[in-house]
Amino acid sequence: MRVDVGPVSDFEDHRVRIVHAGNLEVGVLRWRDRFFAIHNRCPHQKGPVCLGIVSGRLGGAAPGSMEVDDEIPVLACPWHGWEFELERGHALWDENYALKVLPVSIESGRVLLDVGRSRD
Amino acid sequence: MYSGPVIDCDVHHARNTDAELIEYLSRGWREYVTDRGPAGNVPLAVQDGFPNPHGFMRADTYPKGGGEPGSDYATMRDQLLAASDVRRVILTFGDDSHVAGHHNPYFAAELARAMNDWSIERWLSKDGRLSSSIMVGSQLPDVAAAEVRRHADRPGMVQVMLVDNPFNRGFGHPVFHPIYAAAEETGRPVAIHGGAGGWANPPSTGGGSVSTYFETHVLWPQAIQTHLVSFIAHGVFEKFPRLRVVLVEGGSAWIPSLLWRFDMEYKGLRREVPWLKRLPSEYFASHVWVTTQPLEVSPQKENVVELLRSMSLENRLVYSSDYPHWDADEIDYLSTRLPADWHRRIFFENACRLYGWKEEDLAPPRTAARGSA
Repeated sequence: MRVDVGPVSDFEDHRVRIVHAGNLEVGVLRWRDRFFAIHNRCPHQKGPVCLGIVSGRLGGAAPGSMEVDDEIPVLACPWHGWEFELERGHALWDENYALKVLPVSIESGRVLLDVGRSRD
Repeated sequence: MYSGPVIDCDVHHARNTDAELIEYLSRGWREYVTDRGPAGNVPLAVQDGFPNPHGFMRADTYPKGGGEPGSDYATMRDQLLAASDVRRVILTFGDDSHVAGHHNPYFAAELARAMNDWSIERWLSKDGRLSSSIMVGSQLPDVAAAEVRRHADRPGMVQVMLVDNPFNRGFGHPVFHPIYAAAEETGRPVAIHGGAGGWANPPSTGGGSVSTYFETHVLWPQAIQTHLVSFIAHGVFEKFPRLRVVLVEGGSAWIPSLLWRFDMEYKGLRREVPWLKRLPSEYFASHVWVTTQPLEVSPQKENVVELLRSMSLENRLVYSSDYPHWDADEIDYLSTRLPADWHRRIFFENACRLYGWKEEDLAPPRTAARGSA
């Protein structure tokens, strides 16, 4: 089932907006021209993960270095700070531990979520 | 009981007199140490401020001909080497091992150099089963690294040993990295021996100083824990991917709980150390070994075994006796505390992997009769 959650213009860049789609509370992130939708429940302790901070992925090529990759948005749960890549929803420290990510599409300037299936 | 081949990874050899070590100092440093008239020599070793109520040595290890425990090869041979099928022993020095506790960094560097030469000439030459730690004055990391490289072509100098901490920074701090660069380059593991601090250096007790040897000895693992966490958090194993570390005399039953907490904290605090590419426990499992002594004693012996098994420590533990110290663990005793199918790994095979020895190269000694002269 696809759910229309509003026009693209309603979504501020680099911000997560909470919407309701079917029975799910979903956080929709606009990251420049990309959109991501995440079930607002952390797999760790079921915290409201979408209320956490979004940033580019921090990495370090060598000890002591700190670099940010703006192409890879990361969401940190406000409970305990566990970080997840939004493209596939997986934790930064485990490919197999993931948020529930919903497919997003843009049609005629509107944001549509597919709540009938998730990417995981 | 286990009767197979043994590698003992912590045996303390010692000198009897200042003169033994002074002989290996440069002429200038000899003059500095000895020319004090009636005041006697400048002390060569940093002294422990906590007296052991029993003394630090097993009473039966004092050589019959006099001298300090660990100072006489024949006594060590009869009591330790000939008592079981010992194929290799890693010598770890006595009070001199606290060389990094000296306030004078230049003196420490010279002492460390002299100690290593003393160990080579007075010990390694006596028995092919003996190998030695390389002591370094870590007060001067670049000089320490040069000392490690000086022994690159001496296969009997098998590891770099750190005990005292001159900088009040965990051993993962970059100030120590020149030493690790040399260790990795020369293929030597870094051994971190418990018992550092409490007198000349930062206390090994995190919450504050303690009052008795009893307390400080119970809490020895604290300093080892600090260094282990420091090594992994600072990305030492990312910077030096071939480096191996062995934790000596800090116990082992605490390792699962520390690593469980370490992994849990990493999940939330990774942003502070983004150079780490794996979970802390994964770095541990591929870079760190742990000596057995003193094995923690649980009232039900399976409790400790289950803890160790939970982190597959049967593949990371290496046997150590701590001879001739008061709290040394015997092979027969340890055999009764650990599952039989772990014995060969812990007493022999794991140390072969740690030190890069082929089992077939460690042939039994030709003469190893107990009590032989």
